[in-house]
Parts: sequence; structure tokens; C-alpha cells
Amino acid sequence: MSDESTTYIAPEPKFGYPAGPKLDQQIKARHRRGQFWYVLLGASLIVSILALIALLYTIVNDAFGLAAVEYKNDPTRLVVEQQEKVMLADRDTVSSEDDRELAAGIMNDPYAIGFFGYAYYQQSSDNLTLLAVDGITPDAGNVEDGTYPLARPLFLYSDARVLENNQAANVFINYYLTHVNEEISDVGYFPLSAGRISQAQQTWKQANALDLPAGQWAAINPDGVGGSLSIAGSSTVYPLTQRMLERIKADGFVGDTSDESVGSTAGYRAFCVDGAADIAAGSRPMNQNEFASCRKIGRLPLEFAVGTDALAIVVSAQNDFLTAVTADELRLIFTTAQKWSDVNPNWPDQPIKRFIPGTDSGTLDFFVETVFPIALDELPQPTLVSILADNVSPGLGRRMESEQRFFADQLVFFSQEQWAEACDGATPYAGCTLPPRAKDSVLQLLNENVTEPNIVAVWKLVPSLLNRAAIEQEALEKYPAASLQFTSWVSTAFLRSPQSSTPELAGVRTAVLGSLWVVAFTALVSFPLGVGAAIYLEEYATDNRLNRLIQTNISNLAGVPSIIYGMLGLAVFVRALEVITSGTAFGAVAAGATANGRTILSASLTLALLILPIIIISGQEALRSVPNSLRQGGMALGATQWQTIWSHVLPSALPGILTGTILSISRALGETAPLVVVGASTFITTDPTGPFAKFTTLPVQIYQWTSRPQPEFQNLAAAAIVVLLILLLSLNATAVLLRNRYARRAA
Amino acid sequence: MATQSSVPPIATETFSAESLTKRPRIGEALIQVFLFSCGIISIFTTIGIVIVLAEEAIKFFALPQVTLLEYFTGTKWQPAIGYFGVLPLVLATIMISGIGMVVALPIGLLTAIYLSEYASPRARNILKPLLEVLAGIPTVVYGYFALQFMTPVLRSIFGVQQVQIFNVASAGIVVGILIIPLVTSLSEDALSAVPRSLREAAYALGGTKWETARQIVLPAGLSGVTAAFVVAISRAVGETMIVAIAAGSGPRNFEIGKDSLFGFIFNPFVAGETMTGHMVRISGGDLSYNSVEYLSIFSIGLLLFVMTLILNLIARRIVTKYREVYE
Repeated sequence: MSDESTTYIAPEPKFGYPAGPKLDQQIKARHRRGQFWYVLLGASLIVSILALIALLYTIVNDAFGLAAVEYKNDPTRLVVEQQEKVMLADRDTVSSEDDRELAAGIMNDPYAIGFFGYAYYQQSSDNLTLLAVDGITPDAGNVEDGTYPLARPLFLYSDARVLENNQAANVFINYYLTHVNEEISDVGYFPLSAGRISQAQQTWKQANALDLPAGQWAAINPDGVGGSLSIAGSSTVYPLTQRMLERIKADGFVGDTSDESVGSTAGYRAFCVDGAADIAAGSRPMNQNEFASCRKIGRLPLEFAVGTDALAIVVSAQNDFLTAVTADELRLIFTTAQKWSDVNPNWPDQPIKRFIPGTDSGTLDFFVETVFPIALDELPQPTLVSILADNVSPGLGRRMESEQRFFADQLVFFSQEQWAEACDGATPYAGCTLPPRAKDSVLQLLNENVTEPNIVAVWKLVPSLLNRAAIEQEALEKYPAASLQFTSWVSTAFLRSPQSSTPELAGVRTAVLGSLWVVAFTALVSFPLGVGAAIYLEEYATDNRLNRLIQTNISNLAGVPSIIYGMLGLAVFVRALEVITSGTAFGAVAAGATANGRTILSASLTLALLILPIIIISGQEALRSVPNSLRQGGMALGATQWQTIWSHVLPSALPGILTGTILSISRALGETAPLVVVGASTFITTDPTGPFAKFTTLPVQIYQWTSRPQPEFQNLAAAAIVVLLILLLSLNATAVLLRNRYARRAA
Repeated sequence: MATQSSVPPIATETFSAESLTKRPRIGEALIQVFLFSCGIISIFTTIGIVIVLAEEAIKFFALPQVTLLEYFTGTKWQPAIGYFGVLPLVLATIMISGIGMVVALPIGLLTAIYLSEYASPRARNILKPLLEVLAGIPTVVYGYFALQFMTPVLRSIFGVQQVQIFNVASAGIVVGILIIPLVTSLSEDALSAVPRSLREAAYALGGTKWETARQIVLPAGLSGVTAAFVVAISRAVGETMIVAIAAGSGPRNFEIGKDSLFGFIFNPFVAGETMTGHMVRISGGDLSYNSVEYLSIFSIGLLLFVMTLILNLIARRIVTKYREVYE
């Protein structure tokens, strides 16, 4: 352009557009301006999308995450104790703390089975058959590396600086690593291979800065060595350590020793957090977070493997049908099965003779923890009931049973006579007529009365995923008694439980049911009225003052804040029409049990008025889109106006009407303020039973939880929001499906 | 006989035209009455709202301790101890609506311009449902969002000391986000209604896309856009759950002269209860009928109803009066 402008000289215009290079500049400037605004427009759109993303992020971030839970009674322990009780209860079960006795018992009976430390099997391997578990027959290799399912490693932990400063600890570990394989089989554990032991010895040598070639060991004579030594940890390692302590003292060690059997976790805590123990004993490796805590107090844990604990499942050598079992079969064999043929029809029809270690040894605990499910909710209902029966007082138990019985065919807390007497009496229990409790109900009773979980701290999802190590360490320090669990706040239990003041037990059952009742009645009232009004305005109304007023009024009503409808509902439905809305006029509700008009009916009527304008307006639009030829066709055939509307206009307007109605119902489902004003209950745990019941709805529940200061309630609110959004989404999806279906049929 | 019977007999009974038209159809009439009463319900609803609010509000103003003058000029709202100045509540409502408008108007309008002038049909098909999703989320969820997301963000930007946990700014911004879809869809309707010929004329004169949008389309659709703004303000004023959750639960009572104007009275980072927030909080508790609190929320409700009604009427007026009609 600018090249051409040299060929002819245009006069500089006084007005209007510039010419020459200036024109070029101006065009460029205008394009730049256009570009700038284009970017700005796009950016403004992105703001909305970002807001949506941030909203969903906030909800998901709160609906899942780690929680530190303290239990009054540890559920794992309860399950283990219960299983042990079941195992020991059978009359064909022999239990003994003496593993030799068990081995002797099994040897002589072809239909016997039992388990004990692997070492004892080795002592009498000629007369016993070792069984493969899940296809793995235990041997030195797979026990040591843990592939055999009933094996676990045993460790000691200490720290180089501790060993340097504490001669007693240093010498004891040295002695342990020298002699452990001589004693371990006798204690009942599985010895380590020479390679693993020398690895542990290598660690000790490094800690003592001894530059010896691999394989060379510097055993220290403990004679005369003294000092104070504190050991804490696993109850599994405890007998081994005790044996080593006895032996070192016999060899002249004069130190002052304390050895506490507190469990691996507590032992690691004593070593890494309090720094009270010089040596920690464990039956599992120390995890990353425990390492981190140790580093925080200046300790760098050194790991010394000292042995392996493995259980041998054995039968007599005379047994000719069994060489391998699966974990499922093991569960049956040691609990409910009476005869071998109960477990597997190919096995003989002979009673199972069981030989198991006693409850004091820890071996039984290990077997139960490894073989049986240890989560409460995985247990069958009868097991749950017996755990409950063992842990609540008879009085409380009777109260639970009188509310709803546990089994249809048997009683747990009542005798047959007591129950029959109460049920035939003047005031029979609710449980006399109600069906027995479902498993969830029993679980809930267990949670409320036995395990009593208490959430002491919660974390959001993103830090839970990205920063787990730091959180685990924080939990270990601040809440040593709590267990850290990844919690999905939205769960089936959350859906099934009613409202509760303890956040870990609270659910949305009452609120969801309340919402459904309210929305159903709202739809029932507003749909016919709304469609009727739309038909009137579109098909019948002539253009006169009254009809114009109605039309204007409807669009104005659509703009009235929802809380104003709440005030209307409060004054009219709750207060003025209390006789009707509370149900007393119909005798539906006994006097004294009424909700004073603050009922589902009042709420539904209020919401119906609220969404009526929306239904009318969308209905009118749907009717308007029906071509006039349809109406004229109907009329021409001699149909009356209503017949035409009913058979011609309405069917073709129906998809539009339904879509509008469903969308307005989803508005009602999310509405909060008018329901709070109309008097949704703040705390209600019973399911709504009908239109005259007290109620709460999901959004009201969310509002109440959001208003609580405790962080757990924010998690509950987020979970309830997830439920609400899913409900809304499915409602809207229904609208789309309906529309498509009808649209196809019409086409 | 046979030939005779094939000829249809002459009808002995004839319908006169009169009997056809005047035949009473009771069913039809009943249906029409029913449909009419459905239509008239909306009128009764309005009358009901006005009567209920006015009746209880009159009872409230008839109380000896309440005067109209104090109601509109007092700067403290504490019905329990006899302060009945509605200004703190109204001020919080105005502040939150104002902040909401600052967020929603530019973003909503620019988005509307983008959708109507720039976006391809395909982009529009994706973006509009997305905005509808935003519009379909219940307000209680937005309240939760304000408290759990917006407030922490504000606190991390402006400092924990400056920003209270419950504050007007966070509620206002989220109210703004809530009404973006409303502003967008109403404005887009107005802009799309501008006939194509106007745009084409502008292009023919050498206008760029932005110049056409700003100098031709926007002025032509201005009445609709303005109406959208007014409707949005009315929606923001009536918004309840966001402010009930995030803006604080207690009126920001102040004393002119004593409290610093921008440090407290107009400080967006301080808690302040709005009219709607106050109504929800008071009625959420156990309210005894005819108590001062019960009556007072109806007076606030009446004020709110009048405010939103005026705004809605203005919006209607703008649309009918200033709309450019193109053939």
C-alpha cells in the first residue's frame, strides 16, 4: 500500500480518514484494538469456567481426605477377639500354649489340623505334613522374603549415636546378632539365613566404625558390661528378646534392663518420637513417616533383622487327602465347618479336629489377623451381633432388641418367655412387629456403643495425596492414639445413616428422604396448576386488562426473592392454615405429636408457589411453539376447543412442558432459604413418614453443617453437596432423556 | 326392496345451525373455569405476599418502641434491646450487591458479546450449557464455596489480620459469580435480537468486528442489556444463602462520627449481615409468633419485596419503552 502511494500523490484530506502511511497505521491500530478486546472477551468467559472448576475442586477437596480417628474400642481388636472366641468355642478344638502338645495331638489323628510356629514343625517333620497355603509351601526362602502368606519379619531398630553413647545397648545388639539363631527356633520363630544375619552384622559394624571384611564378625564378651538399657516394641519379638536377655545375663551382663511389650507401633513411637527407648522391636518394617519422626529428633534408625515369624499349617502324616489349602478353606476349617466334607465335598465325612495355640501367645492373633477379614463391615451379621452382645451391658442390649430385634428366629438379650410376655402385654415393644435389623443397623449400633470412633483431625484431599508423609508424621506426634484413615465422606453409610451430632456417624438419609417427599408433593401441586395456567393464558385468554395483569404479574412473581415466599409460607401455611397443614383436621396426626404446621405439606405448598411462575412461563413457551395449523385441523374436524387442546396441542407441547417442569423441580430441590423460614427442623433423626411429618431437606442440612465451626462438619457438608449435585444431575438428565424420547415419537 | 334400500333415507332429524352453536357444554365450561382459576392463583399469590408482609409490618410499626424515623435513619439493629435502625442491614445488602455487580456486569456483558458476536455455533453449543450448569447449582453450594474457597483466597491475598472469616467481600464476589450466567444469557438475548443487517452495514463501511460490536450492536441492544443489569441487581439484593453462610451473622451496627468510615462502616473485609441473611438467621431459630423479632423480619421482608419489585418494574419499563424495534 505504502509503495503504491508514491506513484500518485493524494492531497492530505482535511476531514475524514487519513491517507498514506497514516491510514496504514490507523488500520493496524484498529486491528490491535480489536485483538485486545477479543482477548479480553475470551478471558471473561474463562473466568466463569475457572469459577466452576474452583467450585468443584473445593467440594471434592473436602469430600475426601485423611482423617485421624480415635476409637474407644479398637475395631480390629474386637474382630480378632471375636474370631478367636469362635475358634476356641468348638468342642473339637484343642487349645494349648505348649506347641509340642499341639504337634503331638495332630500326629496321631488323621483328621486333625492345626498351626504353630514353623520351628515346631521342623522338630517333628517326620510325623507331620506341612500344608501349602494359597499354593505356597513354606520354606526358608519364601518365609524370609514374605511371599508365604503367614510370615512376617522381626526387627530391632536403634541409632548409631545411641549405640555410641550406650554401651549396654551396643553390646546387647552385638550379642543378639551373635546368638539369635541358636535360640530362635526354640522360641518358635524361623531363623534367618546366614546372609541376612551377616547383613545385620554389617550394619552393626558400620555403626561402630569397625572396618572388618564382610563375613568377619566381632563378637563382644558381655561379661561385666553394665549400664541402663531400655527396649520397647512388638509383643512378637518380646519372647525372643527376653530369651536373649536371660542368656546375656547368664553370660555376666550386669546392666539394668527394661523390656516392654507394647506393640510395634508404640515401640517405634517410643524410639522415634519420645526418644525414651534405646532399642525398638518390631514385627513390621518401620515406615517412611516413622523414619521422618526419628530424623526430627536427631535419630537415624538402623535396621537389624533378627528372624522371621512364620506359622506352619500342619496335618498328620497319616492324613491322605490334604496337601494344600486356600485361605478361604482355612477360614471355614477353623470356624464354622464341623466335618471335612463341609469344606470340600471331596474330603472325608469325618469331624475336623482342631489344634490351635492359646490366646496368650500372640500366634493366634497373628493367624486371625492374617487369615480373617479384620474390618467390621466385612463380617457377617451374626458375628457383628455377637460382638455387640459381648461389649454392651445386658440392659442396653435389651433396649436395642426391644426397639428392633436382631434375628427373626432367635433372641439375643431376652429369653423367649420374657419376649413373649412383653409382646402379649399392653405395651408391646416396637421390635415385636418390626422386621429384624439389617446389617447396617447392627454396624451402626456397634459404632455408637462399642467402637465409638472420634475424629480428632481431618485433612483435605489434595494435601492428603501430595503430602501424605508429612501428615502421617503430624498425626503420629499430635494424636498418638489415633489411626490415620483415608476417608471418603460420601459413602453408603453416609447415605444410609440419619443425622447425628457426631460427625463420623452422621448421614443424609433423613435429609434425602425429606427432600424427595417435599419435591414430590411440590411437583404434584405445581404441575397441574402451572400447566393449567399456561393453557389458559395461551389458548383461552383474550387480550383484556385482567389477562394482561395476570401475565405481567407472573413475570413479576418470577423475580420475587425466594425468601419472600418463605415469609408467605410461614404466615399462611404454617400459621393461618395450621389445622390443615399439621394434619389435625384430618385426624391424621395424634394431638401433641404435631409439628405445628412446620410440615412437609407446608414446605411443598410454599415451594409450589415459588416454582409456579417458572412452570407457567416455560409451559407457555412450549404451547406457543405448537403450530397453529394443528389447532385449526382439530377445530375443522368439529372438535371442541378443549378436545383440540387435549388431543392435539398438549401432546406436541408435552416435551417442552415436561422439560420446563423438571428444570423448575430441580430448582425446588436446591432451594434453601424459604424452607428455613417455613421451619425445616434443625435436628431430626427419624425418617419422614408422610405429608404431616416434620422434615429437613438436603440443602437445609448442608446449610446447617456449613454453619458449624468444627472442620469435620465442612467435610460432611461437602459430601452432602456431592449427593445433592448427583440428584440434580440425574433429574436434569431425566429431563433431557424425556425430551429426546418424546421428540422422536413426535417426529 | 333392494334397490330402494340402497338409497339413504332422507334424514328426518335435522340439526339447525342454532342448536349446534348454543348447545351448552358443561364439561368445557368447567375446564375453562379450572384453567382460569389456575391463572388467577398467581394474582392471589401476589396479593397474599403483599397482605402478609404489610399486615405483620404494620403490627411491627404499631409497636410503641418502633418509630418509622428511627427505622430508616437509625444505625443500630438490635431488636432485643430496642434498637430498630434498618440501615446496617440495608448497607450490607447494598455493599454485597455492589461488589457482586462489579464482578458480574463486566464479565457477564463481555461473555455475552463474545457468545453473540464472536463464538462459532459449535463453541456456543459447548459454552452455553456450561454457563447453564453454573446457573443450575443451588445457592447453598455457592455459600459453601464462598466460605471454603473465596474467604481463604482473600485472606491469603490481603492478610489474615485484615480479612475476617465472615466478610462482605467474599460473599459479594460469589454473589457476582452466581449472577454472571443471568447477566450473560439476558444480555446475549438482547444482542442476538439486533438484526443482521445492521452488522452487515457496519462491515460494509469497513468496521472491524469489535467496532461493529461496540458501536453498532451494543447501542442497538442497550435497552435489553440495561434491563439485564437491573434484573441482576434485583437478584443480588434478594440472594440469601450465600450471604447467610459467608457474610456473617450479626448486623454491622455503627455510629456515625465514632466509627471510621472506610475502616469499619464500608470495610468489605468485615462481617456484615444483610437483610436476607438476617431474616434467615432469625427465622431459623425457634420463633414465637407476634414477638418483636417475628414482626421485625416481616418489616424487612416488606422492604426487600418493595426494593426488588421496583427494580423489576424498572427493568420491564426499560425493555418496553426504550426497545428499538427493527422490522
